[in-house]
This record gives sequence, structure tokens and C-alpha cells, in this order.
Amino acid sequence: MSVLQQLNSPAFYLICGSVIVFVVAMCIVFMLKSYRAGLALGMDKTKLKRAVTSSITFTLLPSISILLGVVALSGSLGVPLPWLRLSVVGALPYETNVADMASKSIGLSGLNASEMTPQAFTTIALVMTVGIIWGLFCCIFLLKSYMKKLNGAEKKSTKTKGGRNFGDVLTLAMFIGLVSAYLGSYIGQFTADKNIVPIITALVAAAVMGVFYYFTEKRKIAWLDNFSIAVSMLAGMAAAVVVSLV
Amino acid sequence: MNEQQKTEFFETYNNGIHRFGRIMLIVAIIWMLSVPFAMGAVLGAMPSMPAFGKAIAQVALIYLPVAIVEFMIYAPMLGSGASYLTFLTGNVTNMKIPCAVNARDICKTEAGTPENEIVSTLSVAASALTTTIIIAIGVLLMVPLAPVLENPVLTPAFNNVVAALFGALGCKYYIKGLKIAILPFILMSLLCIFVPSVISNVGFLVIPSGLIAIGVSYLLFKKNRL
Repeated sequence: MSVLQQLNSPAFYLICGSVIVFVVAMCIVFMLKSYRAGLALGMDKTKLKRAVTSSITFTLLPSISILLGVVALSGSLGVPLPWLRLSVVGALPYETNVADMASKSIGLSGLNASEMTPQAFTTIALVMTVGIIWGLFCCIFLLKSYMKKLNGAEKKSTKTKGGRNFGDVLTLAMFIGLVSAYLGSYIGQFTADKNIVPIITALVAAAVMGVFYYFTEKRKIAWLDNFSIAVSMLAGMAAAVVVSLV
Repeated sequence: MNEQQKTEFFETYNNGIHRFGRIMLIVAIIWMLSVPFAMGAVLGAMPSMPAFGKAIAQVALIYLPVAIVEFMIYAPMLGSGASYLTFLTGNVTNMKIPCAVNARDICKTEAGTPENEIVSTLSVAASALTTTIIIAIGVLLMVPLAPVLENPVLTPAFNNVVAALFGALGCKYYIKGLKIAILPFILMSLLCIFVPSVISNVGFLVIPSGLIAIGVSYLLFKKNRL
């Protein structure tokens, strides 16, 4: 039996599947707790359901790209470990980078199936697991006090100017910062590598979102908003295929 | 329920979320750490500790500061319940944050309110469940699906899914905060044009870009220009 066949054995699916089942159970518990709390606080059932349905539609397409990450890593690490890593804590750029660093530290030339040994694999798995665990420790030790401090600061500083409170403005600003970094990198990819695909993809998705914005905000067709992200992304992704073919 | 009762109820709920979240993460960490050793027992080869030490030193050098900064920036955007789930289920910047912000936007809740906290938690839980289910189905169908997923014609579409996501969201949020967006967008674009080596580290670029946007928004807010 080759190493890769061993890495795809039922025992490995069982080991990784058990963690994933635990995480799924936790998501359900959090969902039920927050849903019940929402109802108790007098929130509208429709609003709560919209939060769930819009998030499901929002997540569908990016989830397929994460699945592709599992496919990409499965050639060297088997299916169960990438399945676990990309379902719990992980993210594709991190996993690929760290797996490569760990492979080199154990003497492989890189993340390479032909050189993989059982010990190299378990070492890589341990490095991938420990290397991304810090965020969880931050939550365990700091989240409660951090949120308390923030809430205190927010209560003190919340003033309405021009119909907006600073908490909303801050969230909007953080998000604009996040988006700007990515959009800037697509422009950089175009000028540095003549790679026009990411910026065209983003522009087409933005244009379609603009159309949705017009109908949801100006024409007040609110239900369309549930599909705005998914449809805009599909349009952008279709543009990526077309541009790559040309 | 009057306002006083609502506040008390939300405080009790929030304390419960913190208690449950902490226990959940401790169990998750122990369980996750046991996975490489359980695999080692099956393979008859435990991890090499010297190699692990060498690799983790390099990894921690990069990812420990990133994790702390991500926590400081994203936890306030998510709220308590959603933070526990987001940091447990991963894919933070490329999925959970945009998803939670989008849901709050659709539900029109205000930052810092109990409603916002509830909607964020529901959103992240629904998102994590969707991803887990899709990946699980994909893993089950790995063999028949592989030719479709790996079809070279479709590869650019999946390679650019994040660009599509940020294009769509960019439009939405730039319309809402155009005055805030101009400076970070121009500076990040110029930085990526003139220092192309930073392009591969977008995760790091998010930090200065976010700080610039926050600075601009604070100034505009102070001057009542928003």
C-alpha cells in the first residue's frame, strides 16, 4: 500500500470526520442559542431567517472554491487531512504555505507526493494544526475582556452625526480597508504580471452588483438583495473564464 | 420585555456564549491536536519533534502576529458568538467576515446592538454549516466530480472567486462610504504597482489599509462630513 493510499484509508476519514462532526454540532448549538435569544429579544422571525438564508446563498460559491483547495492538496496529503484543515480553522493560502514550510523542515524538496513518508506526513499535519491555533487562544483568553472594553468605549463615544453612529462607520471603514487591499493587489497583478483576469473579474462582479444596488436601494425590491452577491460573483467568474479563453 | 429586561437578558445570554465558547474551543484544541498523533498511531510513525520545532518557529514568526492582529480587527466586527465560531471554522477574511457583514447589512442591524450580535452569530453558523456540507458532499463525490472541478476551462473561474467576491462587495461598500474609500484604494493600488512583491501578502496589506480607512473615517466623522 502506497503512502497516499494509507492517507486515504477509512481510519483517516474517521479521525478527521469526528472533529468535523463536533464542529458541525457546535455551529448548530450556536445557531439555536442565537435564534432563541433573537426571538426572546423581540426580533422579527423573518429577519432572523433572512440572516440565515442570505448567508447560505452568500457562502455557496466560495465553498466550491474551498472544495477545490481540498482537491488541490489531496494529491500530496490525501483527502481526509485537507478536508479537516479547510473545514476547521484553516484557509487555503495558509495551509498550502505551511505544508510547504513543514515539508522542507523535514527534508523533503517541497510538498511532493512522491517523497512523502509516514513521519513526514504526521509532522506536516502537526505543524499545520499548531501553526494556526493562536486565534483560538486569543478567543479563550482575551475575547470576553476585549469585547467588554469595546462595548464600554462604544457607549461613551456613540454620537449620531449625519444619521450614522461611529460604530457603524468603523465597521464600514474596516471593511473598505479589507476590500481596498484586495482590489489594489489585482491592479498590481495587472501592472506587474500583465494578469488582467483578477481585475476584470472584480470589475464585472462590481458592475453587476451596481445593477442589483439600483434595484434593491432605489427601486426598493429588497428580496433581490439575497441573491446579489451570488449572482454578481457568478458573473465575475464567468468573465474570468471568457477573458482567459480570449 | 422592557429595555431593562432586554439588557439583563442579553447580558446573561452573552455570558453564556462566552462560557460555552471557551469550553468549545478548549475541547476543539485538544481534539485537533490529537489528530496528528492518532494518524501517527495508524501509520506507525509519530511526528518528528526536531523537524516540528524548526517548522513551527518559522510559521509562528509569520502567523502569530497575524493571528493577534486578525483577532483585534475582526472580533469587534463579528461580536462574541460569531468570533468563537469564526476562529474555530476558519476562512476568516475570504468568507466569514464578508458573510456576517452582508447579513447584517441585509437585516439592517446597527453595530454594537444585541440584534447585530444575534444576526452575526446566525450568519457565521449558517455559513460554516454550508461550507462544511458542501465540502463533505464534494469529498464524497471526489472521484466523479474531479474532472468537472479540474476542467482547465473552469479553472480561471475558481481561481478568481475571491476577486469576484471583493469586486461585488467593493461596489456595495464603496457606494456607502465613497469618501472613506478613495484614499486607501489609491494608496493600496500605488503600493501594489510600485512594490509588486507585496501582492503575494495581501493578508498583511489589509492591516495598513484598514488603519488608513479607519483614520479617514474618524476624521470625516469628527468633521461631520459623512
